Amino acid sequence: MEDISLQSRIDALTEEQVLIQDSAVAFIAQDEELKKTRASRFVQPGFDTEVWREMAELGWAGFLVPEAYDGIGLGFNELHTVLIQLGKGLVPAPFVATGVVAARALIDCDNESVKKEKLPALVVGGWKPALAWQEARGSLSVSAQQVTVSDGKINGVKLFVPDAGGADDFIVSAAGPNGTELYLVNREASGLSIDYEQRIDGGFYGTLNFQDVAIGERLAGADKAEVILARAIDEGCLAISAELLGVMTRALELTVDYLQQRVQFDKPIGSFQALQHKSVDLFIQSEISRSVVLQTAALFDGEPSDRERAVAASQVKARCADAALMITKASIQLHGGIGYTDEANIGLYLKKAMYLASWLGNATTHRKRYAELTL
Amino acid sequence: MTEQAHNEYNAMDDDAFRVMVHEWIVENYPQELRFKPYRMHWDEIGDWYLTLSKKGWLTPAWPAEYGGMGLDANKLLIFMDVCESYGVGRTPDMGITMVGPLLIQHGSQEQKDHYLPRILAGEYIWCQGYSEPGAGSDLASLQTSAVRDGDDYVVNGHKIWTTLAMDANMIFLLVRTNKEGKKQEGITFLLAPLDTPGITVRPIINLGMHDEFAEVFFDDVRIPVANVVGGENKGWTIAKALLGHERIFIGSPKFAILAMARLKSLAKTVGLFDDPIFVERYTRLQLDIDDLFATYKRFVEVLKRGGTIGPEVSMLKIWNTETQQRLTELMMEAAGENGGIQDGIATDDGLVRPAGEVIGSRPSTIYGGSNEVQRNILAKAVLRLPG
Repeated sequence: MEDISLQSRIDALTEEQVLIQDSAVAFIAQDEELKKTRASRFVQPGFDTEVWREMAELGWAGFLVPEAYDGIGLGFNELHTVLIQLGKGLVPAPFVATGVVAARALIDCDNESVKKEKLPALVVGGWKPALAWQEARGSLSVSAQQVTVSDGKINGVKLFVPDAGGADDFIVSAAGPNGTELYLVNREASGLSIDYEQRIDGGFYGTLNFQDVAIGERLAGADKAEVILARAIDEGCLAISAELLGVMTRALELTVDYLQQRVQFDKPIGSFQALQHKSVDLFIQSEISRSVVLQTAALFDGEPSDRERAVAASQVKARCADAALMITKASIQLHGGIGYTDEANIGLYLKKAMYLASWLGNATTHRKRYAELTL
Repeated sequence: MTEQAHNEYNAMDDDAFRVMVHEWIVENYPQELRFKPYRMHWDEIGDWYLTLSKKGWLTPAWPAEYGGMGLDANKLLIFMDVCESYGVGRTPDMGITMVGPLLIQHGSQEQKDHYLPRILAGEYIWCQGYSEPGAGSDLASLQTSAVRDGDDYVVNGHKIWTTLAMDANMIFLLVRTNKEGKKQEGITFLLAPLDTPGITVRPIINLGMHDEFAEVFFDDVRIPVANVVGGENKGWTIAKALLGHERIFIGSPKFAILAMARLKSLAKTVGLFDDPIFVERYTRLQLDIDDLFATYKRFVEVLKRGGTIGPEVSMLKIWNTETQQRLTELMMEAAGENGGIQDGIATDDGLVRPAGEVIGSRPSTIYGGSNEVQRNILAKAVLRLPG
């Protein structure tokens, strides 16, 4: 598939970025036809555990994990190149949920013994945590309210935990006497039940019901927990955005390729100006998204304030969510009837975009937060 | 000539350079000419042209050996940024941005020696004779003819959209010297004084009620063959090659950022920030501009690395100009009935004129290759869609 992005024309990659990107390109080339993606749809855990193991072998699970815990300790300037490829290949693995959101929460907490035990296990792919923080639809509030902890017991309901079926442990936020705290809870803990919602992309969200669940290890107290959660979620927004960038980029590549091949009225339909202009508008959205992803990755690898990080996370998520939906929906239209079949891969890109665009705040939610933070 | 050895500019620390340019501009640029919403005529902005000329800062992008500042891409961007931020108006700058660079690249020694010092001194002020009534987006179909007669061409035809022709005393134009074969290969680039007998300039009033451009008529006008630049029938090639570094400035988000500030003042004045529907639309625009800025900086990095920008720069033009139009449209809506009056609406930060802004933002999606033509370019050159 020909790369039509401006990366090769205008972006200067470091040697390290090129190496990492090349390995990610090679990785997704193994399943160019998306057979594994299709096979893992609609069956628990909603992803391919073997694919996750292979990714861990490449060291990606430990991308953000400091070297002291056996990770590679790189940042988003490098990681975004992997995430873009994961989006392009619709790779069926909970990378962002595990390797970014949950990993970041654990890295930033101050329970050293848990970190020493669990982070190296995460890095080698032997342990998968998931972050259970959300209590209301459409909310970005990291302040725990409905899920409470008292007398060593957690009670309440956590929503929208992606790929919960494959998680070994949950990092759970709960309201204690002094505010939000973070705990590690095993999936088999007594009193914890999980309901699953079928996602449109074929994966699952878990709804976690806590009924007098005994607390496991405490990861962070009320002095730090909300800051930890905010950073984990904001980095998650950037990671999702980079993955969405990959989704939209490949969808556009597939569509432009189709426009070049498909003949009607004795001409390739890509020669019609109406379709050319439509395609260019999609292309512009994808490149604006890329600009913002690159800018945000650089910002996150510096030392942004919590507010700067939040503003930038909302900026990038708002753009990439809207752009990915616009591009993937238009891609269905430009493919015509075949685009509406499950057999054609283009529809898988729309469904992935629909999941990722709405997870951790959709575009409207992020514009609202952006306005609150900046107006 | 300049007060300072030219290469010293590029050797300066970026911040020091910025401060130096800024301080001099604050001291010398007339306060009352800041942020003018229209293209100024020579009677308003001419003194500034001459002030820049005396300082040696008229032609920041020209090489030092031709009397320019010789700025590298990075310093040039800083220079332009300072000017835009302070609201410095454009001079009649066709000699600076078009003719000069073209002569430096393709002119004969005699042409360089004659024209360049006169551009620098403000003695020759230029206008551009490219478009014709029948040759707009399809410029190569131009029909103004030049027929060889001894040492002269005899030129007949009709040019249009000639910006500030009434302020100019020189014109550079594309003429047809060959009607056979490929239309791009029969075009020649000519220079002529505007007072040459047979040339008539007629101003055109635009929708902003301003005579910013004009028509220029050629009626048996004799132009010496010596005034050809780049050789007969080579005009198209050299005119196209001119699209260099300065194309980046069409993507500069400065104007949109300033217009957004006016929208903000307006919205505060009329109390619209309590309206969640307005806030959503406002934020969308703010993010369109923030993201434009991110994209602009990405292109600027290419120039700073010493690279060149190709046809992909069209996406900057499209996004920038269309974002500005959406912005002015929201301004007009925010102003209610005042959106339909000339004087607009008074705010704490001064008068905001939504109607004038809506009108004033129209031409940018038309000139310099309409946005539809830009989309054709991107479709073919970047997406490689079939012709």
